[in-house]
Amino acid sequence: MTISGLGPHGERAAPPERIALFPDDIASARAARFRVAIVLHTTASDWAKQQVAGIMATFGDCETAVIEVVDCAFTPEAQIAALDRLRGEKPDAIISIPVANSTVADAHRRVSQEGIRLLLLDNVPTGLLPGSDYVALVSADNFGLGTIAASFLAARLAKGAAVGILSYHAEFFATNEREIAFDKWMRMDRPDIRLHVRKFDSIQTAGQDALALISAEPGLAGLFVVWDTPAMEVVKALKRAGHHLPVTTIDLGREAAIDLASDGMICGIGAQQPYLQGIAVAQTCVLALLGKQTPDWVALPGLAVSSENVVESFQKVWRKQAPREVLVSAKLVQGNSRS
Amino acid sequence: MPLAQTPPIRGKGRPTTRDSAATSLGAILNLIRSGRATTRQELERESELGRAVVADRLATLADIGLIVESELGVASGGRAPRLVQFKTELGCILVATLDQSALGVGIADLSGRLFTEHHEAIDLGADAVSTLQRIIALFEWLIAKHAPAMPVWGIAISVPGPVTEGDEMPFMVQTPSFLPAWEGFPFLETLVDRFGAPVWLRSSIETMTMGERFAGAGQTTRNMLFVKVGKRIGAGLIFEGRLYRGGQGAAGLIGQMPVQMGDRASTLDSLAGSDMIAREGLAAAQSGKSPLLADTLRRGGDVGAIEVSQAAQSGDPASMEILGQSGRLIGHSIAMLANMLNPGLIVLSGTMAQTNDLLLAAVRETVYGESHPLVTRDLIIAKSQMGSSAGLVGAAMVVVESLFDPGCLKDWIALGTPLAHPMFLSLQMACAARSDGITALQDQGVNAPGFPSTSRSLP
Repeated sequence: MTISGLGPHGERAAPPERIALFPDDIASARAARFRVAIVLHTTASDWAKQQVAGIMATFGDCETAVIEVVDCAFTPEAQIAALDRLRGEKPDAIISIPVANSTVADAHRRVSQEGIRLLLLDNVPTGLLPGSDYVALVSADNFGLGTIAASFLAARLAKGAAVGILSYHAEFFATNEREIAFDKWMRMDRPDIRLHVRKFDSIQTAGQDALALISAEPGLAGLFVVWDTPAMEVVKALKRAGHHLPVTTIDLGREAAIDLASDGMICGIGAQQPYLQGIAVAQTCVLALLGKQTPDWVALPGLAVSSENVVESFQKVWRKQAPREVLVSAKLVQGNSRS
Repeated sequence: MPLAQTPPIRGKGRPTTRDSAATSLGAILNLIRSGRATTRQELERESELGRAVVADRLATLADIGLIVESELGVASGGRAPRLVQFKTELGCILVATLDQSALGVGIADLSGRLFTEHHEAIDLGADAVSTLQRIIALFEWLIAKHAPAMPVWGIAISVPGPVTEGDEMPFMVQTPSFLPAWEGFPFLETLVDRFGAPVWLRSSIETMTMGERFAGAGQTTRNMLFVKVGKRIGAGLIFEGRLYRGGQGAAGLIGQMPVQMGDRASTLDSLAGSDMIAREGLAAAQSGKSPLLADTLRRGGDVGAIEVSQAAQSGDPASMEILGQSGRLIGHSIAMLANMLNPGLIVLSGTMAQTNDLLLAAVRETVYGESHPLVTRDLIIAKSQMGSSAGLVGAAMVVVESLFDPGCLKDWIALGTPLAHPMFLSLQMACAARSDGITALQDQGVNAPGFPSTSRSLP
């Protein structure tokens, strides 16, 4: 699948094959015995765990030591403190997901100014430039994910229907790209559809925002929510209020997968591949530390997940068995027995 | 014969400060806005106006709503002074950069600071209507996301080629000629009508030059030469603090200058541009002359100008030679310009210039070697630190500079917003009529210039 978006500064995406490690790269990395630190927004989510698993697997092969994995608990202050502290440890590289925009920009810039290689996941703070301020950004093709979600929802909509977009209030590259792509796909491919946007501030309030949107636009025939956790809050709120609407979202979280497989409100998902993104960022990191050329932006294509392919997609994304509820819905096991 | 209408006057027969002092109000506002003066004392010193006059003008500006005087500054002995600040959130600026294959958009406050930017692929060869529709859709998204309550004070679009008009003051009144396929298309008129704000078009090199002048290395210089190295090589000139556009808006097409390399004579574009660098780099990769580029090919990557540039930075001898050759030719052309113009700063931009130091070194060596000692005595030659965001930042500064130009400012400052400028109101009506006229022609099935007959009507 091709990458349909452009990078945060208009860069063209490089495919993950571009940063593959050859045996001589791995041998050189093993000899160099690099030290790397990882700074994440959270370490609690499945998405973060899979990213770390991909990173660890690759660094393990390269005998690169991960000296610390920091959980910033989504707070810019914690991230700034972690980055400033890690600079003192003088690792060869730091892999970071910036949790905010301008607030954490300087802390990231200080890392690269110390000569520590900085690799970013999913977001680039305002003003930071590839090459001078960071090595590369590794992310999903968020623009492509938005178009996947739009095409799933469009298939459920009658001519002239109205659709609601639940957009994330914070300034974040990944969610912006998804929302813009969804909007663009609808304008280009279903110009008959009317779009209504409402922003939500937090996962906890997404359900109330969805109900408020429905109350303001009673004719809504479907919803797009920019990632799965708030989408499931929306689904729960809709159920409580007695509504049934098709919902599309991004990321194949456990709850979303179960709802999708059971023909619930989730009617299709554009899924990231966090394990492969972890591998890609680790490979890019090793290449940069070996002095090899690395692209400014490495993007991984998204997966289009429907109720028909949810089992294999779940395994592909999470590298583990799909939840039992999904297997039951897919009629792969009987509902009254456990394996 | 009826008497000529007289302007309304105050009770005692004297005009108000708003009516009579637009010039000094504008001067003080620009001192505050540019940061040259942030306290009453500094304003008195910089403006050379008396304390009472400054106090009166500040009161008027605060009354109009353009400034706020609240925060305390740093005391220099006595009581801490109140800081005077321009209210940058009074309006927003929409910006876009258009090139052959990508569209970038952004939204900025009235200081020109970008809130956010977004880039996506487009085909500029497609019909003008769909490109315009996309720009409008993205602008509306930016407004909804970042400035739902802010009026749009201005729009600037950067386009791939020279913009042959645009110096009309204070506002551009019609779509200038900038792409042959868009001739006659009411691009500017539709945007003015849609967003109710003045629109400026500039070439991409002009907006990048403005970005560097106001937010990059050029912030402290009044005479700067900005050179972008890409497939085409172009230059922008800041002269006495202002962008110099030339008679037809085509200043800086230095890629057309003749140069010679060995026994080959051609233009600077063809002998030093990115096409040449990519071609020579690919040959070096395929022949094995460059092991690093050969390795990139082995990994399935493309070898283009950026890869050659990165390889040169990593010490690859073949790539260093290719970049050095290009840099010397560019340096030779820049030296001629430097001898003529005596700039204080020369900035090299473009991905190749920004990803390695070789090009910069070769340009420096040639310029210093071929220029008069007086020209190079204090000359700084640096590479841009702004990347591709320079175009969007510079476009925002095109709007800011145009709106706050003393000639424009004096006619709207008393009204509190440039959207109430009498000439803009006339322009807005003319644009509405022009947009309506084109839409009517389309509705009747007449293929107006620039409108393909198959295109949908504007949103």
